[in-house]
Amino acid sequence: MMGVQKDRVKFNVGGRIFETTATTLANAGRNSLFGAMFDENWNLQSNPATTAAATEHFIDRNPDCFSILLDLLRTGELHIPTNIPEKLLYKEALFYGLSDHVRTARWGPFDGNRLHLARSVHGRAPGDGTAIRAGPDGGCCVAHGSMVHVYDWTLEEHPPINLDYQRVNDAIWVDSDNIVISACERLGRDEGGMGLFSTSNGELRYKFHVAHENQAKSYTGGALSFNQDYKLFSSCKGRSNEYGIGVWDQVTGNQVDFFYEPPGWSLGEADKLQWLHGTNCLLVATLFPRKDNCYIGLLDFRDKSMVWSWSDIGARITDERRVRDAIAMEETNSICVVNEYEDLGFMDLRRAGSIVRWSSRSRLMKGKMPDEPCYPKLALHEGQLFSSMNDSVSVFAGPDWVLTSRLRNSYGGSICDFSIGGDRLFALHSDENVFDIWETRAHSIV
Amino acid sequence: MSSGHKKRNFQIEAFKHKVVVDPKYAEKTWKILDHAIHEIYNHNASGLSFEELYRNAYNMVLHKFGEKLYSGLVSTMTLHLQTMSKSIESAHGGLFLEELNTKWSDHNKALQMIRDILMYMDRTFIPSTHKTPVHELGLNLWRDNVIHSDKIQTRLLNTLLELILRERMGEVINRGLMRNIIKMLMDLGPSVYQDDFEKPFLEVSADFYRAESQEFIECSDCGDYLKKAERRLNEEIERVSHYLDAKSEAKITNVVEKEMVANHMLRLVHMDNSGLVKMLLDDKLEDLGRMYTLFKRVPIGLPTIRDVLTSHIRNTGKQLVTDPEKSKNPVEFVEALLDKKDKYDKIIASSFSNDKTFQNALSSSFEYFINLNPRSPEYISLFVDDKLRKGLKGVKEEDIEIMLDKVMMLFRYLQEKDVFEKYYKQHLAKRLLSGKTVSDDAERSLIVKLKTECGYQFTSKLEGMFTDMKTSQDTMQGFYSAHGGDLASGPTLVVQVLTTGSWPTQSSISCNLPSELLTLCEKFRSYYLGTHTGRRLSWQTNMGTADLRATFGNGQKYELNVSTYQMCVLMLFNNSDCLSYREIEQATEIISSDLKRCLQSLACVKGKNVLRKEPMSKEIGEDDVFSVNDKFTSKLRKVKIGTVVAQKESEPEKQETRQRVEEDRKPQIEAAVVRIMKSRRVLDHNNIIAEVTKQLQPRFLANPSEIKKRIESLIERDFLERDNVDRRLYRYLA
Repeated sequence: MMGVQKDRVKFNVGGRIFETTATTLANAGRNSLFGAMFDENWNLQSNPATTAAATEHFIDRNPDCFSILLDLLRTGELHIPTNIPEKLLYKEALFYGLSDHVRTARWGPFDGNRLHLARSVHGRAPGDGTAIRAGPDGGCCVAHGSMVHVYDWTLEEHPPINLDYQRVNDAIWVDSDNIVISACERLGRDEGGMGLFSTSNGELRYKFHVAHENQAKSYTGGALSFNQDYKLFSSCKGRSNEYGIGVWDQVTGNQVDFFYEPPGWSLGEADKLQWLHGTNCLLVATLFPRKDNCYIGLLDFRDKSMVWSWSDIGARITDERRVRDAIAMEETNSICVVNEYEDLGFMDLRRAGSIVRWSSRSRLMKGKMPDEPCYPKLALHEGQLFSSMNDSVSVFAGPDWVLTSRLRNSYGGSICDFSIGGDRLFALHSDENVFDIWETRAHSIV
Repeated sequence: MSSGHKKRNFQIEAFKHKVVVDPKYAEKTWKILDHAIHEIYNHNASGLSFEELYRNAYNMVLHKFGEKLYSGLVSTMTLHLQTMSKSIESAHGGLFLEELNTKWSDHNKALQMIRDILMYMDRTFIPSTHKTPVHELGLNLWRDNVIHSDKIQTRLLNTLLELILRERMGEVINRGLMRNIIKMLMDLGPSVYQDDFEKPFLEVSADFYRAESQEFIECSDCGDYLKKAERRLNEEIERVSHYLDAKSEAKITNVVEKEMVANHMLRLVHMDNSGLVKMLLDDKLEDLGRMYTLFKRVPIGLPTIRDVLTSHIRNTGKQLVTDPEKSKNPVEFVEALLDKKDKYDKIIASSFSNDKTFQNALSSSFEYFINLNPRSPEYISLFVDDKLRKGLKGVKEEDIEIMLDKVMMLFRYLQEKDVFEKYYKQHLAKRLLSGKTVSDDAERSLIVKLKTECGYQFTSKLEGMFTDMKTSQDTMQGFYSAHGGDLASGPTLVVQVLTTGSWPTQSSISCNLPSELLTLCEKFRSYYLGTHTGRRLSWQTNMGTADLRATFGNGQKYELNVSTYQMCVLMLFNNSDCLSYREIEQATEIISSDLKRCLQSLACVKGKNVLRKEPMSKEIGEDDVFSVNDKFTSKLRKVKIGTVVAQKESEPEKQETRQRVEEDRKPQIEAAVVRIMKSRRVLDHNNIIAEVTKQLQPRFLANPSEIKKRIESLIERDFLERDNVDRRLYRYLA
């Protein structure tokens, strides 16, 4: 019983008395108010005159929120009563240094088959969204026309980002503090291109320049990707036909390489770049309708070669066979493509001159096209394949990519883009300026 | 912002209100925090309220005074660090490091507490403004205001270097303090550690070891020097583990290696009376091992040792194989080779950690000098012969195997393996025919080893010899069971039927056998040819032996073990007491050189002289006269009369063997040429020589001029032709 006495801690938070134990508070970690407060430097416990339990620590904060956070430390679970605004709780958590605790308790590890719609967020921007990108910490950014709106994991909006108010083509999270966006060049001026921005204040940190034969050129930045060696890739469309894929060092911002577009192929206007860790190659896909034909290639920058390629040039093309998005799946050495009707097709990456094996699964969809259809998009996450079609996202799994779940929100119209990251799925609608956040519920210990 | 947030708005309103009311709010709040930082640095924190300070810092950030808070922190901390810096500067002598260490730990503790108070700023304001976080800021300020201050930077470096020097000279220093100070430099970042300590440390160390090694090398022998170098190296490694960055180990050992080893390598190796050669001569395994491990650490260290080792083995080996004294006794010759091999195997195993490149150097050296003596193949075969005749009596089976393996190793070094084969065949034939081989298992084991080494072809004839021996036994049994009755009274004949080609048969000049035997031999011949049609038998009388019962003048009976030739000679004395050399020659028709040797062994060997010769001299003359030595006595009833035969080949015999080897090589060279040309069709001279040499390498080293002769012979026989345009090209004619 003596041990219990020593362990007891008494707080007066905004006039309400709380009693807990040092053990519970230790769950907050050293980098929190409690961790610092009970560090031996601050000598708060070991006053020999009074027992620890008798010393009352006053904290001038909201007792209701303290109670929720104390329960979080006690149980590892987060229960927010309806009368407490989430944002208030998040602010309080930030004060105590418990934001990470709240975030990890807020939602669980991502599983495409256990998602629930957590929230829908209305944006202020006019017009259709271009792209939505999930950040590593549960935040996201949404590109609308010439602006990129950034949201943190609490879905608090940060100052928006723009690159000379040029039309944004793509955005990518480099880490939780930095975003790269690519934009169209403005004719006649050295503007547009690409820039690295701070997510917290929206400030431009540096621009990425393109030089050809030691001469800086203005260009339009397209699809983006980066690899584990801090190299950033972008499709580039220069003014004097300097088309190709540029490579920059993400840390210094310097251009380190350029892969010129070979004749009869398209790289500079690519819709999608994807870095493949296993093979050290970059997937570059230019798709209909940006070009009349589809071009999918795998670039090896070490010897500047295209190690794998596929195109529908010369093939008899019906709309059913038009590839609208492509994604490489390294584990199965294949590329998955999708057509306008959400039929999935597969190609073998190990063989040159591969043909698409279509799995016609969703013929039922035909004839039910909405007025403003959006082209399907693909994403891959830990063995689950996702594709968006009209107002829903389908989840496929298993070796034969069986449809296992479908996510649909009745509001907002077709989904024009979606993205998975930070254990969340973000879906951007085209009819209304709204995006949905899908989460897996946190595991309850019981 | 929706309607549900009113309550919260009200709360925040209260703070905003306060700001409006008190325009000096930020100033006042900063004063509180500033004061707290002072108190923390003055070890007076017990009166502070953590919660209040944390809240104040939080409020400043919340109310957009983050910039003021941050800049205030920088200037207050700078002020305190400057005070600390003064106090450290004024510390005297040895107290300097102590004071620095104390202040460093004070600063660290204060920094931690300040960071605790400013945790909210660290988490929100600093990332969004891309400023340096508090902890890192504290380290940077310490670096700039203390470590890099004019009066400390140089003094600190000199103090550290001085202490290390003193430790190198044998003094005991406060390693704990050193560790703390070095750890501080490391905490300040790798560039601080490297620039402010490591680089100068390495330079000073290089100077120190340059001077020390110069001094050592003047007054130590090689072994002692290496001991000192090794000790220094270990000291530095130990120093790193005690108080330097682990990454410095490779750098400082590099310095010691370069200054103490690499720079003096040649001098050490070639030191008179203590260098590498001396160590090898005296089997200084420990010193050699030390040299190996030290030299291994520096570039071209091992090649240096290896080169000296190689040339030493080659020179001593050359002396050994060309020493005429050693050549007198083939067994000793080979034993000396084996001893030499054992010696260096042991050195390489225990001192040079079985380094493959050293093993290769040893092999190539042996290969080099063994082949300097053209008689090496013969001697090795003689050594085996000696061992298999008598040397193996009472030796354990494993030891026999070890011995055979060693012989095989020498065999591998031989270039002229075919010469060895020739001799081996001869020696084996003698062993088999005289029944002198002691261990059939050992014989077969060696054949198996030769087979694995050189292939089936090499040993097929040798194996044929063993088969012949076995078949002969069966034949003799058959012969006696067929003729048993009528042969009981006469002499016993044992015939070994040898297949021509398998055995080293010499020109079969037969001698006249005594009549008693002649009939018996004829009986055998007709028996054998009766069972094996289409064969030819000829007698190899030069290879046989006989057991004779002889009664001497005094009635003493002895059993004499003699050769067939000797038997023929002795049988003549059954009918006459006294015979001249010429009479004997006429009667036996043994060629004179053999006869002389045979008579020598019967008449001139002391203790075995069953004949008496007139005149009594060592040499046999054409006019000598022989008679039975009636006074012959021997302790043993059985007397073995060996033929006086040089165990080693005599010069003419050697020439003959050589000639036969050369003769045997011709078809092999031709076969190789044809094989190569058949696949290549066209090849120039140099390439064909190279390929033939390579193909024949496992058996012998083909002589280019001999290959050329063989090619010419093949051209004559229309196997090849010269190209009409380029005369250096040969074409294969199908």
